[in-house]
Amino acid sequence: MTQRLYSAFKFALPLILLLIFWEFCIQFFQVTARVFPSIEAVFNAGVEAVNDGSIFNHIAASLGRVAVGTLLAVVVSIPLGVAMGLNPIVSDFLSPLFRFFSVLAGIAWIPIATLWFGYGFGAITFVIFNAVFFVVTYNTLLGVASIPMPLRNAAASLGANGWTLLTQVILPGALPNIVTGIRTGLGFAWRGLIAAEMIATNVGLGYMLFLARDFYKTEVIVLGMIIIGLIWLAIDRLILAPVERATIERWGMVRRA
Amino acid sequence: MGSGYAMKNLTIQNVSKTYFDPYAGANVTAVHDISLKVNQGEFISIVGPSGCGKTTLLNMIAGFLPISGGSITIDDKAIKGPGPDRGVVFQTFALFPWKTVGENVGFGPRMRGLPRKECDQIALEFLSLVGLEHVAQKYPNELSGGMQQRVGVVRALANNPDVLLMDEPFASVDAQTRMTLQEELTKIWQERRPTIIFITHDVAESVFLADRVVVLSKGRVLEDMPIQLQRPRVWENLIEDDTFKALSSQVLNKVRSA
Amino acid sequence: MIILLKVWSLYLRLAAKFPIVQTILPFIPLVIAWALVTEFQVFPRAFLPGPMDVVNAFGTLTYKGVLTQYLEDSVVRLAVGAAVGVAIGIPLGLLIGLSDRVRQAVWPVLLFFQAIGDIAWLPILLVWFGFSLTTMTLIIVYTVLFPIVLNTSLGVRSVSIDLHRAALSLGASKLRVVWEVVLPGALPNIMTGLRNGLGYGWRALIATEIIVGTSGIGFMMFDARRAGSVVEILLGMVVLGTLWYVVDSWVLAPIERATGKRWGLVTQ
Repeated sequence: MTQRLYSAFKFALPLILLLIFWEFCIQFFQVTARVFPSIEAVFNAGVEAVNDGSIFNHIAASLGRVAVGTLLAVVVSIPLGVAMGLNPIVSDFLSPLFRFFSVLAGIAWIPIATLWFGYGFGAITFVIFNAVFFVVTYNTLLGVASIPMPLRNAAASLGANGWTLLTQVILPGALPNIVTGIRTGLGFAWRGLIAAEMIATNVGLGYMLFLARDFYKTEVIVLGMIIIGLIWLAIDRLILAPVERATIERWGMVRRA
Repeated sequence: MGSGYAMKNLTIQNVSKTYFDPYAGANVTAVHDISLKVNQGEFISIVGPSGCGKTTLLNMIAGFLPISGGSITIDDKAIKGPGPDRGVVFQTFALFPWKTVGENVGFGPRMRGLPRKECDQIALEFLSLVGLEHVAQKYPNELSGGMQQRVGVVRALANNPDVLLMDEPFASVDAQTRMTLQEELTKIWQERRPTIIFITHDVAESVFLADRVVVLSKGRVLEDMPIQLQRPRVWENLIEDDTFKALSSQVLNKVRSA
Repeated sequence: MIILLKVWSLYLRLAAKFPIVQTILPFIPLVIAWALVTEFQVFPRAFLPGPMDVVNAFGTLTYKGVLTQYLEDSVVRLAVGAAVGVAIGIPLGLLIGLSDRVRQAVWPVLLFFQAIGDIAWLPILLVWFGFSLTTMTLIIVYTVLFPIVLNTSLGVRSVSIDLHRAALSLGASKLRVVWEVVLPGALPNIMTGLRNGLGYGWRALIATEIIVGTSGIGFMMFDARRAGSVVEILLGMVVLGTLWYVVDSWVLAPIERATGKRWGLVTQ
């Protein structure tokens, strides 16, 4: 237990030093608020945003969009990926298509998304859906396709029928790839979200940043950046990375067999 | 063919090695007190069970690990870090995968500043010692394990080191290849007479190869046994030889008693 | 059934001889489907133009030199940003990989800043540098930096200690070990980092052009959106995707595979 506390502390130390360095620079170089805010200014901005509830609106809007878009995408892409991956001919054939669209994932769809769905929730969620969908489908496809045939045959010869085969062999076997796909997709989605919110809406973390820029309110910008960083760090490091590690440890063996 | 006219003797005097193990949360002594003298041209073998300190000792002689106490000197000059005067042959071969065999063997001469042509020549010369001059243009991953280790040996020899340190070099190859490599090593040694310190956990191997077998246990020298076997040594003959069998048993008992 | 198999085996043989066939073929049904959907006006023409419209736009814009100019602008920006990112990233990655102390000091900071993401820096960069080329280049540098640093340090750390020791005991100085052993040893990972970095950089470029730009493919798409001209948006997407696909599959991926293979590593 103390080992984890110790490593958490070791992790935080450089960041704390960075904070001290930040404040020192502001004071020493007499940096104006217009160029970069002081820690105090950012803190005050944070307090203010909490008090008038705006920060919660923005965070909720951003997280909400990510959640909905991701959920929709995962629900669609995993079955699709499994279906495609099971047939090696189909997966070979469709691979280039998915690689092509993976590149366009997210941000490149913003212009057309705003055209089809107008500004706001619809367009942004579509962008997120898009970002997650292609990556997860492609990774699921890869994961399923890479389950060695002997394993599938073995399961079948042990009497596993369609559904059992699916849940006991295919899904667990592809799970490491699926989780990696979700993690990558979420990364694209989060960044696409921020970009989309700068263009296409009037609530959300990206919007908060962009609006503050208009008024040169650097303390709000920096506050927003810190929040964005912390949220993603929390999601990625505390949830996604351990899940990915756990599935690879538990199921990674399947592929090596 | 030695490295100059002076006699280069390696003296290990009361050497010890202690380090802090973060997992154990305490100091660990790998080597308590080892004193050993190796004369020029000798082939000595160091055996012992796992954890007896033999690899740590070799790493200290090679200069990869600092010494906690005592001294290691070559002709009364203390060793300072790794260097071409102490060549090393690794269990993992450690050939540079992106360089050809010839470039690998010529690496040492190149580090000394010799021109490319000369390095290539030296490389071919040493590769011919093990009959591998025809693979000079190949890459290590194209060779078998046995061939790779032969390259590893001549790569170290190409620098004319004062002493050749070999860290369980044949442990990663199959049994047949191992016997061939052992015989080849003794042949090279008879021709060129380098000073060799050979670490192994294989008792028979140690007796087959060496003039002297040093048995280590728990960081100390347990026994320093001369091996009076005729050379050249060939497995076919020795495997039934009574002296060989007796010596092997002696060493084995000493190792197991530790 | 037999006919189907014959066609399929013909396809396989063609694909083996000309790999390009395997890449292009899947897109044909997609384009056909697209054409059909627009033919039957499933969506209003203003929302989804057909493939021929896009091709026409491509022709017109290329003829007018607009498309080529935008393309050149985008590519040059990416190249400059990537070059700076590589120039900073590889040495930094080397340092982090070689020194445990540096790593412990820098790693958490790196992770945090990576979590903030490239686009989130846009507002403050706009405050500092305005709507300028500097802003765009800095975003790309920032984006490219992280994959390169992370992969380079990973590559450095993956060079086995025996290789370090072998070089040292063959007479190499510490500096020469870095040049002769560490850098070549880390090269496959560095290539992976470069490839990933370019991918992220490409995406960041588009986003920046949409928000900030005065030229470039991203700008073209957003400008077309404002004018309500969907064709150009689609054209932009097609160009983007194709360009990246070509560069990634036929230039970057083979290089990455070749370095991996040469080093005796197995890359999938």
